[in-house]
This record gives sequence, structure tokens and C-alpha cells, in this order.
Amino acid sequence: MKKVVISRMAAVTSLGADVDSLWSGLMAGRSGIVEVDRFDCQNYVSRYAACIEKLQAPDNGSMMDDILERVAGQMGNIPADCRLLVASIKGEIDRLESASRGQILVPEAVLFEPMLSKIARRFDLNDNGCNINAACASSTLAVMRAAAMISVGTADAVLVYAADMVSEFVFSGFSALQALSGEMCQPFDQQRKGLNLGEAGVALLLMSEERAAAEGEKQLARVAGWGAANDAHHVTAPAKDGSGLILACQRALGIAGIEAGEVAAINAHGTGTIYNDAMELTAFNHVFTSQIPPLHGVKGSLGHCLGAAGGVEIAIASRALCEQQIPGTVGCLQPEEAGRGCLSRTAQKIDGDYLLCSNSGFGGINGVVILQGGA
Amino acid sequence: MEGWITGIGWVTAAGFGLGRDALQQPFQAGQLEIPKRKQIFEKPDMRFGRLDEFSRIGLAAIAFCLRDAEREVWQQKREIGIIAASRYGCLQTDLAYMDTLMLEQGQLASPNLFAYTVANSFLGEAALRFGLNGGSFVLNQGDRTGLAALRIALEDLAWSEQEGVLAGISDLNPPPEFADEDFHPGSLFLLMEKEQQERAYGKLASVADEVFFNSVKVQNLEELIAACLAEKHS
Repeated sequence: MKKVVISRMAAVTSLGADVDSLWSGLMAGRSGIVEVDRFDCQNYVSRYAACIEKLQAPDNGSMMDDILERVAGQMGNIPADCRLLVASIKGEIDRLESASRGQILVPEAVLFEPMLSKIARRFDLNDNGCNINAACASSTLAVMRAAAMISVGTADAVLVYAADMVSEFVFSGFSALQALSGEMCQPFDQQRKGLNLGEAGVALLLMSEERAAAEGEKQLARVAGWGAANDAHHVTAPAKDGSGLILACQRALGIAGIEAGEVAAINAHGTGTIYNDAMELTAFNHVFTSQIPPLHGVKGSLGHCLGAAGGVEIAIASRALCEQQIPGTVGCLQPEEAGRGCLSRTAQKIDGDYLLCSNSGFGGINGVVILQGGA
Repeated sequence: MEGWITGIGWVTAAGFGLGRDALQQPFQAGQLEIPKRKQIFEKPDMRFGRLDEFSRIGLAAIAFCLRDAEREVWQQKREIGIIAASRYGCLQTDLAYMDTLMLEQGQLASPNLFAYTVANSFLGEAALRFGLNGGSFVLNQGDRTGLAALRIALEDLAWSEQEGVLAGISDLNPPPEFADEDFHPGSLFLLMEKEQQERAYGKLASVADEVFFNSVKVQNLEELIAACLAEKHS
């Protein structure tokens, strides 16, 4: 099995135009969640979301075009033989909204195939790749797949690109499901009332250790383990016993070849919904039997970035391992009893080589990636 | 990379089918009938009536596939994943949801329809109904062979602990503006298992970008299914 490293990463989020501003914003305990002015929220249960500053669709385009441009501009030249894995749940959904409202024909650009071609062209890649749609675990599963491809030698460089945007389509849907918080969200807090949506674009260049070394690429972190599992419980609600997440963690620990006690920190999904956060703490208490390691969630700062959430959180985790600290969990004022001792509103020092990232989504899917620092 | 095909099920213009009961090929031009609960499951099922059409065809094809493999009934959850390739995904459900969103400025947006505007929702329906706790996702890719999900499933069988993967295609008719006479709507899944089974149709293998059934190269899903059904009758 070849070792897999993350050699480059780029992101645009509500906290800024790159990974540095994202990291500094998180460490300062800032939140990018603001009142939405992109559409009228008066009939929805919330008016808050974490929106990228001055995001604009080009003429006849999508806001996703702007996200792609901002991310691609940070990545530099990518090797043309690099494989491409994209992760997005709703793609260019703003085009569908415009077509429906304008009562015009649905443009072909709402489909994923043209979006894949566009992303491949922008990064000058020979491979048009594929889009992986596993709800809120989409980019986690894309990173897992990329790591698996490299580790067995099917590919030696894979670009994972993930993006989703704040649209009225998705906002209204989560509002109708009563899943949005009317206030700033509070992941893992006893008083949490739901999630805030967010948007982001992120790119992660994964390479075999040999190729990264040969090409003089950085080795920001190693992707040491990965695992996915379905709850097989409910379509929109997680299994209360955390069985799917437990299984995904166990599979990831197995591939990494480490014991749970070697995990120095956790970047949890932490949506701020009552059931998700309770499920995660149940699962982590099962996996980490003696004590959950320092744990944090970033959705109080970034909102829930849907298919891009996992990718952004893996970029943050990579930086956290390098800095040996994790950001605080913004909004978590009174941690859930099951998370006492591992959650903090402020940044926490960590001590170790491994950080576990988890995401869970509609359809009961759970994805876990374990990063190793010091690559 | 290789796996054993042990079940085939479909909902296409040819009707609903299981590989072992098949009298005709599933790939045909024509109208796609959306299955009703009674046509798939004997017992009443509150959930089925709430499913969107994209989920119904996908869930039905998976049910027929597992029945064909004699793996429909279960006691303990199984390490079986699901990979569904789709060109249009849940676009028709998106459009139906948009219709509800535009009424009364969002006040009547349908939560039930919204839940199915996430294309992988039907995989969750299948996972909970059949106790499948492997990884699952919907794959969007510019692939006209219909084999993309199967190639990835073979990789998953080789790389993971999963005992099997359900892989296939699922698409409703697209809106008229996307009319494509070569496109046949429907859903078709194959169950591929890691270990050789007595009931297997045969062995599927991928080498580089090529796919082989019982060592004979197949160009597309239609050709593969024809070969499987021929094997059944031989």
C-alpha cells in the first residue's frame, strides 16, 4: 500500500478567500454567519447563513463559477495526468432556480456532466472525473476514494474539488424540515436548535508520497485511514445509537492501523441539530471508551457547507495537526453532558499525530478520514 | 479486480424484472412505468407512498436484484454497499420541489419532496429496508457504457471489507428539453459479491478500463446483461 499525502489545498469560505484566512478566523473564534441578503427569508424559520463575501454569478452563469475561479486561482498548475473527483450535492442549483422562476427551459448546465467538464478545463486536467453525491459526506467520501486509488496504485495524483452554495432551494428545504436554527447555530451545546447553512469551495491535491517527493511538492498531512458505513436506520435522521458512525470509525482505524487512543483530536460533523450532535457524541463515547480526545466542530463559524463540508474540514484538520491545536467550537456555550471535557469554545492544544474527521448525511451515510501529521 | 454477479433486477420500459425470471432483455425503448408498492412488496408499507418517482424505480430495482440473489430477507445488517450511476439524478424531483417553493413565496415548500432532492436518499431507503451498512453514493459521470458504477464497485470489493456491492444505473425520463433518443430511462442493479456463490451468473472483472464477463470483454451494460441472461439459459 502506498502512502498518501495532501500536497496542496485551497479554500474559499465565509471566513475568507484562502486557507490562511480560514484558519486565522477559526482560531480567533470568528463566525462568518450573517443575515442572508441573497433572497428574501421572511417566510423561513431562519434568516442566517454563512455566505462567501461578494460571491457573484457571471452573466448567464452560476455562483458556483465564481467559487471555482476563486479556488482554482489558489492552486497553481496541477499535473495534467491528475485524476479528478468532484463532490457536490446540488451543483449549479441557482441555474435551476432561475429557469423555474423565469419559466424558461432548464439549461443543460444544471446537470453534473457539463460541470465536471468545466472543472476539468479550469484545472487543465485530461480526466473529466466524476461527481460523488453522498449528501453531507460527499467530499469525505471523495477524499476516501482518492486515497484508496492512490494507495493501491490505480492513480498517483488525484484532485478532489468540492463545492456547494447557499441557495433558496436548499435554504427553504431545510426550513421546511424545521432543521434550521432561527439564531446563530450552537454545535454540541445543550441549547442547540438546529443548523445554519454555509457555502464553500475547496480543493485538495492528493499524491503518493513518492510522487510528491519526486515533484518537490509539500506533504501537508498523510491520509492514514478512511471508512464509510450506512446507518441503515432512517433517511433524514441519524441512528441514535451511532452505529453507522461507530462502524465508519472502526473501519478507518483499521486501515490506519492504530488504536483509538492514538487519535489526538476529532473534527466532528457538529451540525447543531439535536439528533446529529447527540448521535456523534454517543458514537465517539463508544469508540473512545476511556475519554474522547479534544473535539471541535466548525459549523458555528462556517455554517453547514453541504457537500463541501468534509473537504473544508479536512483542510482545517491538516492545518490543526501542523499547528498542534484545534479551533474552538463557536456557539458551544454549555457543552452537552456527553461531550464534557473534550469540547471548548476556545482553541485547544493537542498532542499527537492523528486527527479524525467525520461527516454524516441524508440517506444515513457516515464517512471518516484519519489524517496523520508530520508527513 | 473481480467479483461474482449473483443478482440482477430492473425497472425499465420492458417492465419489472429479475434476472432469473427474465423472458426478455430489460433495455428497450418505450414508456417507463413507475412501480406501485403492491408490484414490489407484499406487505403494506407507509414509507413507499411517500417516495418520489426517482426513489421508487431505484428502490424497486434494488429489491428485485436482492430477490434474484436470494438476499432480500435478512436478520443482521450486511456489509453491502450501493453505487448508483445517474445522468439526471433527481432533477424531476428538484423541479417538482421548485413548483412548491414558488407558491406563496416559499411558505408551501414541501419538506417531503425536499428530502428526495438529495439524490442518494433512495440509497438510504434501500439500506434501511434491506439492512445494508456498506458505503453508498450516487455517481455522476460522463459515461455512456453504463459500466462506470460496476468498475467502481469492483474496486470497492478489492479495497474494502465489504462482502458485496449493489451497482447499477438509475434515471427517470428527463425533461423534454433534454430529449435524447439513445437514452433509455429506468433503473437496473447488479449485486456483486466478493466470494464465489453457487447461484452466480458469472465472474465480472476489470482490467485497466476494460470489463470482462467470464473472461469475455463487454462493451456496455446492455451487452453484460445479455451475457448474464444467456448464461442463465445455458
